[in-house]
Amino acid sequence: MREIELSLNQTQKIRLKRALEKLESSSSKANSNSNASVSISDSIPVNHEDGVLKGHGTLDLNGELVATLCGVVERVNKLVYVRALRARYKPEVGDIVVGRVSEVAQKRWRLDIHYSQDAVLMLSSMNLPDGIQRRRTALDELNMRSIFEENDVICAEVRGIQHDGLHLQARSQKYGKLERGQLLTVPPYLVRRRKQHFHHLEQYGVDLILGCNGFIWVGEHVEAKDDMVEDQVSKPEQQKSNKNSISLEEQEQTYTPIETRQNICRIANAVRVLSILGFNITIEVIMDTMNLSSSLNLDIHEMLGSEFCVLVAEGEAERRSLTKRKG
Amino acid sequence: MVGLSLGEKHFIQGGIAQDIRSDGRKRLTYRPINVETGVIPQANGSARIRMGATDVISTVKAELGKPISLQPDKGKVSIYVDCSPTAAPMFEGRGGEELSTELSVALQRSLLGGKSGAGAGIDLSSLVVVEGKICWDLYIDCLVVCSDGNLLDALGAAIKAALSNTGIPRVQVAAGASGDEQPEVDISDEEFLQFDTSDIPVIVTLTKVGRHYIVDATTEEESQMSSAISISVNRKGHICGLTKRGGAGLDPSIVLDMISVAKHVSEQLMNKLDSEIAAAEAGEDES
Repeated sequence: MREIELSLNQTQKIRLKRALEKLESSSSKANSNSNASVSISDSIPVNHEDGVLKGHGTLDLNGELVATLCGVVERVNKLVYVRALRARYKPEVGDIVVGRVSEVAQKRWRLDIHYSQDAVLMLSSMNLPDGIQRRRTALDELNMRSIFEENDVICAEVRGIQHDGLHLQARSQKYGKLERGQLLTVPPYLVRRRKQHFHHLEQYGVDLILGCNGFIWVGEHVEAKDDMVEDQVSKPEQQKSNKNSISLEEQEQTYTPIETRQNICRIANAVRVLSILGFNITIEVIMDTMNLSSSLNLDIHEMLGSEFCVLVAEGEAERRSLTKRKG
Repeated sequence: MVGLSLGEKHFIQGGIAQDIRSDGRKRLTYRPINVETGVIPQANGSARIRMGATDVISTVKAELGKPISLQPDKGKVSIYVDCSPTAAPMFEGRGGEELSTELSVALQRSLLGGKSGAGAGIDLSSLVVVEGKICWDLYIDCLVVCSDGNLLDALGAAIKAALSNTGIPRVQVAAGASGDEQPEVDISDEEFLQFDTSDIPVIVTLTKVGRHYIVDATTEEESQMSSAISISVNRKGHICGLTKRGGAGLDPSIVLDMISVAKHVSEQLMNKLDSEIAAAEAGEDES
């Protein structure tokens, strides 16, 4: 395990060590089945009679299959491979990802999603702002920058890998541009694929999107508008008035309300703490961390201090040992 | 570094205006500072400072040399900064050179005082061994390992920590050298002299975003700045140096206001840094 980079005093060090040992012991018991994690040079148990296809991160050494990477052994029929933990994101079809536009190209946007190559979002694989289903014309192509610009943060779904790269799609109102918030990056293995990746935390007025690629968006809640019903004439005017508001006073009025901003920052710092400690990031754990911090009456920026990190680690160890006893 | 979308820029500016920045800090709050000393064994003194993701290493190497004829009673100190390509892809090749020079010059201005040596954080006359003949040359080299904004403050703190970690060997001068002859010296392996680092200033950079200014800006926040002023303040509250970066101009009244804020902030920073350095030194002795 990579050493956690925190400045701790002696007691905090011991407490953190104890909590992590507790976590380790509980996880090693749970992981003793076939879904084992391996480190470099560990042998992978295989049944040679069935025939084995050596996959990524494996090596045949004197008739024995050994791992050349640290990670989790995955088996698909005959294929045996090792999925490395500390690696770039590997997309799977249907994953919800958050990405940043790196280029506006012919009929497509290229997005950085922390994959080994840029992902492609075709103009034809997203709903147009006016919501009408139709062929995309040359005019639409010219107006692509009015939908997404370079550096915009976008949420989309992985559609699949085609001959020219990884394709995304955004065929619903819930996908699209993300504004008024902050983007956090965590190692992708901390975010597991789950049923729900969009979270609207109503009590805080915050939207939280846990991208499978380790990009996490925390922002002010926006109502998913159904543009189809909306009066289409009013839209361009609205945009124009937005662009004209350059003066500082007007800008200040459009800032995120202070309570919402506090909640956004608190949630963001909860995510940061979990990522420092290397814990899986799920909505429940984030909420627990956030509630812990508010119950301790900590200032938001104090959450990144070492004392709180140790507390979270201890809490997590406690929680896991409890759930294990139940199960 | 990656760009930011309009929405994110707006969010950062709004946060600064409302006094809650993206990581929950107030405008005048620093990130936690982590100090390690004695990280480079070959150097006479070294330190590593981490503030959030910003990570810098500073080393001090002392060599015997000859003082320049204009100032026979003073030693020499030079400061160089190197930006490692591991910190950002744009530092690759000669890309980091411009920033390195800018930082070196700013540090020299802030720490070494004027041409006459007045107002210097490091007492140059303490470096002299034999007046006019032998003095210590201090080479302070800094390396930026990871850059997440506020490099100058981190470098200044790293130099301060490295200097308090520095031990200069005691030098015995053989008697009997006369006239223009260079006297023979004997460098002790056991006895080291500590520096007096209490006069070394800390650098406080105030970054102006919108109408407000903040300390310890991250890279994202620095991308939104109009201008930044770095003020070095010593323990007595005296201003030792001042540098301005960024394109936009500043009103003199705002500059004066910023200086008074920097003085106030520097007190806290100085105390925090001193206790961190003491803790790091204590930790090093233990292990």
